[in-house]
Amino acid sequence: MVELYPSLVQCAIVATAFKVLLFPAYKSTDFEVHRNWLAITHSLPVQEWYYEKSSEWTLDYPPFFAAFEWLMSQAAVYVDPAMLVVKNLGYESWQTVYFQRTTVILTELVLIYALSRFVKSTPLPNKNAAHVASLSILLSPGLFIIDHIHFQYNGFMYGILILSIVLARKQSTLLYSGILFAVLLCMKHIYLYLALAYFVYLLRTYCLDAKSIFRPRFGNIIKLGVCVVGVFAIAFGPFAQWGQLLQLKDRLFPFSRGLCHAYWAPNIWAMYSFTDRALIPLAPRLGLPVNYDALTSVTRGLVGDTSFAVLPEVTKEHTFILTFVFQLVPLIKVWRKPGCWDTFVGAITLCGYSSFLFGWHVHEKAILLIIIPFSLIALKDRRYFSAFRPLAVAGHVSLFPLLFTAAEFPLKTVYTILWLVLFLFIFDQVAPVSERPRIFVFDRLSLLYLTVSIPLIVYCSLGHQLIFGWDRLEFLPLMFMSSYSAIGVVGSWVGFMVVYFTA
Amino acid sequence: MANPTPSHRPRPRKGRPATSPGSNNNLILDIGDGKQTPAFPLVSFLWAARAGVSQWLILPLILMAVGLFRWAVSLWGYSGFQVPPMHGDFEAQRHWMEITTHLPMAQWYTYDLQYWGLDYPPLTAYHSWLLGKIGSAFDPEWFALDASRGFEDTNLKVYMRATVVVSEYFVFIPAVVTFLRRYTRMQGVHAWSASIALAAILLQPGNILVDHGHFQYNTVMLGLVVASLDAIMAGRMLWACIFFVSALGFKQMALYYAPVMFAYLLGVCTFPRINIPRLFNIALITLASFALLLAPLLVGASNVKAREVFVTSPPPPLLQSLPIQVDKSSILYALLFQLTQVIHRVFPFARGLFEDKVANAWCAIHTFYKLTRFDATLLQRASLGATLASIIVPCAIIFRHPRASLLLPALSAVSWGFFLFSFQVHEKSVLLPLLPMTLLLAGDGGLSKEMRAWVGWANILGSWTMYPLLKRDELRIPYFVLTMLWAYLLGLPPTSFETYRSRVPRDTSSGQFEPSTLTTFLHFSFYVVMIAWHVLEAFVAPPSGKPDLWVVLNALIGAGGFGIAYLWCMWKLFTQCRQIDRQTAGEESQKKKQ
Repeated sequence: MVELYPSLVQCAIVATAFKVLLFPAYKSTDFEVHRNWLAITHSLPVQEWYYEKSSEWTLDYPPFFAAFEWLMSQAAVYVDPAMLVVKNLGYESWQTVYFQRTTVILTELVLIYALSRFVKSTPLPNKNAAHVASLSILLSPGLFIIDHIHFQYNGFMYGILILSIVLARKQSTLLYSGILFAVLLCMKHIYLYLALAYFVYLLRTYCLDAKSIFRPRFGNIIKLGVCVVGVFAIAFGPFAQWGQLLQLKDRLFPFSRGLCHAYWAPNIWAMYSFTDRALIPLAPRLGLPVNYDALTSVTRGLVGDTSFAVLPEVTKEHTFILTFVFQLVPLIKVWRKPGCWDTFVGAITLCGYSSFLFGWHVHEKAILLIIIPFSLIALKDRRYFSAFRPLAVAGHVSLFPLLFTAAEFPLKTVYTILWLVLFLFIFDQVAPVSERPRIFVFDRLSLLYLTVSIPLIVYCSLGHQLIFGWDRLEFLPLMFMSSYSAIGVVGSWVGFMVVYFTA
Repeated sequence: MANPTPSHRPRPRKGRPATSPGSNNNLILDIGDGKQTPAFPLVSFLWAARAGVSQWLILPLILMAVGLFRWAVSLWGYSGFQVPPMHGDFEAQRHWMEITTHLPMAQWYTYDLQYWGLDYPPLTAYHSWLLGKIGSAFDPEWFALDASRGFEDTNLKVYMRATVVVSEYFVFIPAVVTFLRRYTRMQGVHAWSASIALAAILLQPGNILVDHGHFQYNTVMLGLVVASLDAIMAGRMLWACIFFVSALGFKQMALYYAPVMFAYLLGVCTFPRINIPRLFNIALITLASFALLLAPLLVGASNVKAREVFVTSPPPPLLQSLPIQVDKSSILYALLFQLTQVIHRVFPFARGLFEDKVANAWCAIHTFYKLTRFDATLLQRASLGATLASIIVPCAIIFRHPRASLLLPALSAVSWGFFLFSFQVHEKSVLLPLLPMTLLLAGDGGLSKEMRAWVGWANILGSWTMYPLLKRDELRIPYFVLTMLWAYLLGLPPTSFETYRSRVPRDTSSGQFEPSTLTTFLHFSFYVVMIAWHVLEAFVAPPSGKPDLWVVLNALIGAGGFGIAYLWCMWKLFTQCRQIDRQTAGEESQKKKQ
């Protein structure tokens, strides 16, 4: 057993010290969302959980997450009972803040455990790389910005996801991997985006014979089926009994929202909107019809309808079909290579990519859905790493608009730059040489892309205000950031597709 | 980072350096079977760099990491937040920015002295002026004359916090980095050990808590002192004078270091042979720097308007006691007025022997034997005498042996002497002796168990004595986090006892770096007492009639510990001096043989 330094625990201790110091930092409305859920689950009977609407932040996560909130509320009583009152909207005594921030740090222990399992499960020659990758996830600026400042429980959720991915590595623990993923789905339904990869992998590797797909393994099928159905029955059964499933569906899948989120997530639709904007002045010359109603609404990309002035409208059906098609493509390979764990993780990553790039009302936070699974295989060889590099830059930079207060500006930028410099350097040292030659053009573009990020960050954080002042053209930096990040994410997607299918 | 050649092979890596990177500091422990482990957690964080990684990478990473901790602390409370009418140090600094940007220089040291009148030397005033000018460009309301008193706004807080960080990164950090580079090279310490020492020094909890938590600009003054030390190491005595005068001109507290600097510079001019031109140069440069420092203020005081102001205002006591009579409307009067007023403000002789509860000798004695029964002048003399007695030996040593390598222990000993016995000591002044002591970590054997144990113990004790102050500023959590983090990173109690566990027999060559039994006993009793005190303070109410009992207890224990730290620094100075003497004697005898 090789000891690797700094160990996960050492990093976790120092990171925890830093996170505790961030207790008084800015917190988004998500903090109040979670406080409200603590209050709802603690003071109301289960039947009313999904009907309560004193706050505008109604419970819209699946039942296991509600149960998790209920569990935490049992401890919260001893800290400050006032935070558990449903009517106490916007309540944030220091006890509440300390308590909620502490729960984020403590539940992240799951992530640390999952990462240590990941390193243990990696065979010896790649252990060092796995260790580096797990440190990069533990210290990820994404988790740091979203969980410890903005406020959410992603560290906990991704811990479960990674644990489930690690368990999928061995045939003997495949069943637990499936169960764990089902549990995860009942905590946060965003992971549905990855479900197809799990479905295909488990079906092919666990339920069918490795040699021939025409020899089903009935014992395994029954075990897996019973367990997964059991998990869902525990989660949703009581609500079905009370006839609340339709209400749950409305809460979990609010489809009244627009195509793009408040801050444009760096995906295809952000580029589409950007193109649309750019075409407006050109449209009369090109002889294209302009929809003048759209001019007033699209500018700021606010929540609600995004309509396009020049380009054709995009409907939910379009996004679904695109997402589904691009998820299916990588799954063909999973089907054809049963038991190949690297392919499975690659497929999870690509499912994350397609849902992020083509999904309806995608949140920029969903970028973690790509970055975290990708980190597990980014060090497989240098080709994987060169696809990962633009994603690491673009994905994290695209999270910057989440924190817009002056005090958090140095935190997010310095932390992200520190992480990028440190880990991109170490990854570069650790990633083994590929068996196939690298693609020269792709490398050059990736370098150019990295170089552009520096002036762009400077412009968007300082330069713009100096040139245009605080309130003129304020959407411009956001749009630049979003389009720049979109190019990075799309570029890394294309690059990874090539790597994935040629590997 | 991209490969210059279109091949897909990684570049060949540089070979390992010939010397073992951790040899003189015992950073790498052999645990048998050819396996190696880092000696303490901070080493493991730089483990990957032990084979030698470019400073261009390591240095920015360390600076960014320590910067993040600084900024995170600055999110917490500051001195005087929401405590009208006087608020605290934050308001004082803001107020100085307000008056320096709005008033003519003649009024800087005279304007409404009851409300945080300027009582720091001129460089602080200029610094405040600059920061006030920049801040007013963001929002003039922050520094509006009189109207902005007690102004509290999140943007103002961010700006003020940013000024501390920026000032530190402009002065303290470059000074420490260059000083360490020179000092470690001089002491033959490996670059890897130097990086570890740098991280340890920059994470010193006291500095971060006082500057970025409580709110002050100590690191500017400390940085100028380090720059002065760096100049001495480089043999540039005149630059050393300029930097040291600037440090004095920024904060009079730098006087704690002045006797050693004086003795050293005098020593350099006396031994091995008397060098009059050098002495003359040093004196001239020192005087010139003082003149330059005061020049803007004096020029500002010499115009007609300023003279009118001085005629009507009451003359400072120092001017009154001057034996000569000057015409009140003359330029000379204005200049003298300004000069004496600055001196009067900067050195408040009229205040008491000590303020609040400070962990020094006077406060300790006062607890058992009330000193207020004595006349103030007598106390002042006693304090002067005791301070002189405590610093005379180290100053004499440094005068007789003006060696750059002896400066750090001498500076520590003398500033401990000042802290323990001088007049008007603040609990925050403990940062002054802690700085040279902490810099010892970078020296030869500086990261060995013995040195780490002592430096770490002194630093933890130092932050502990500031706890009552930090508690008032709502900085309890940063205090615990930063102190424990430092203890953890350096492998010290209460997080680890590894430092005090001996792995090598004492009589071997590396045995001299192991802490002795006495050290272990002393440190452990202090750690136990500190923890017990925290438990007492948190859970037991002090007896009625003695509300300050825990604070007094803290000061008493602290004074005892600092006394021990003073003795240890003296002992270090002695042993290092003897070692150098022996070395030179050996070299000379070898030369004679040849």
